[in-house]
Amino acid sequence: MRRTIAYPLATLGMVASSLAVAASPAMAHGYVSSPPSRQALCAAGTVGDCGGIQFEPQSVEAPKGSKECNGGGAAFGVLNDESRNWPATTVGKSVTFNWVLTARHRTATWEYFVDGTSVATFDDKNAIPEASVSHTVDLSRFSGKKTVLAVWNIGDTPMAFYNCVDVNVGGGGGGASTPTTPPTKAPTTPPTTAPTTAPATTAPTTQAPAPVQGAEGAWAPGVAYKVGDKVTYEGVTYQVRQAHTSIRSWEPGIWTLALWLPL
Amino acid sequence: MKRRVAFALFIPLLLGACGTDVKPSASSSAPAVKSVSEITVGATYNDTDVMFLQMLIDNLEQGQQMAKIAADRSARPEVVDLAEAVQVTQADEIKLMKGWLDEWNKPTVLDERVSLHADHGGMPSTGDEEIDSLKTIKKAQFETAFLNLFLAHQHNAVEFAQLELDKGANDLTKSFAERVKQSRTDQVQQMLKLLAG
Repeated sequence: MRRTIAYPLATLGMVASSLAVAASPAMAHGYVSSPPSRQALCAAGTVGDCGGIQFEPQSVEAPKGSKECNGGGAAFGVLNDESRNWPATTVGKSVTFNWVLTARHRTATWEYFVDGTSVATFDDKNAIPEASVSHTVDLSRFSGKKTVLAVWNIGDTPMAFYNCVDVNVGGGGGGASTPTTPPTKAPTTPPTTAPTTAPATTAPTTQAPAPVQGAEGAWAPGVAYKVGDKVTYEGVTYQVRQAHTSIRSWEPGIWTLALWLPL
Repeated sequence: MKRRVAFALFIPLLLGACGTDVKPSASSSAPAVKSVSEITVGATYNDTDVMFLQMLIDNLEQGQQMAKIAADRSARPEVVDLAEAVQVTQADEIKLMKGWLDEWNKPTVLDERVSLHADHGGMPSTGDEEIDSLKTIKKAQFETAFLNLFLAHQHNAVEFAQLELDKGANDLTKSFAERVKQSRTDQVQQMLKLLAG
């Protein structure tokens, strides 16, 4: 039975407004998630100090026709900043680019450029795409570190979405590459030594320092908790009910009793 | 239908327009409630609050299908743990939100799923056919497909939450929206890392 704790009253001046919710402009769009685009690296925290793009990697929208990583204009200029030494993903000669779409706009074309030259175009003929889209692009004529510009040209607006994806074609070559991210083929072959306690192998800079593990450590985000682990949070001890890597708002408490058993 | 009697508590300075007081108590004691369904929402709300809860329930029910498939089919234990943790937390969130809509005597399902979403930034966030395709896609491609689809899906929840934070009226619903925004943003971050390695 449900126990009711408190019933509120409509406080003065806070009577429920029944104003119709105005239709919002389309808020959301899309980006290349793997191999990670620069905005995906920012959103993952793999590259820090990116500014607002960290929270909206899907929003690099600008008029069609640009060859810049941010689509031109003033917004998200960090994406054009080559001095950030963007990590390049080692890839083979043929690369599958995966897009995450948070709004499914009618689509004219998807275009891929290297060094300002088109290397692939996919014509969607103004159809509505699915929520995730993949294209396999032949990069066999390149080797070493390259920046691929991936563009989603919207069918029913003058706008496009821009992504720069830093890759190291064939691995090894190019000299200046920094293959800190593993090949995109990796996810299909999990390491046999899968470290269940490592929440992530990249971006230690954005993780909270690991707390004392085991008995009675303080709860912290970014920790891989196993069933039975105990933490303290706001003076209360909790035991893990469901293994998870902790994130903001999954701290122990009344909202997260599915993860944590108060002791 | 469950009909609940509303009591007005005239302690506005202490409780304001909130339902259950979910702030941590000053003392070091375990949470006062033992189940999320004990958290009540309060009577002050607007159309955005209702729409947010209805849209998010729809989003979460699709998400539960995806997470269940991922728990069964993912190879990496990190992906399985994430999928299972999402399942249990979202199950509680669904209970919580349905309870709040019941409290307001509002339906817990969207009657016009497509058009409502279309007014708010897009189609239904994820196609039912795409979810089904996760069941049959080759195992070698499963994690990449799941993570990309679920990234988009959880990102949509962030957008619903932002709409609520901008235009909602109910304090507890807004505070819940903030939690949704944080948890999904951080899940997206985890999934982007899982995709990269």
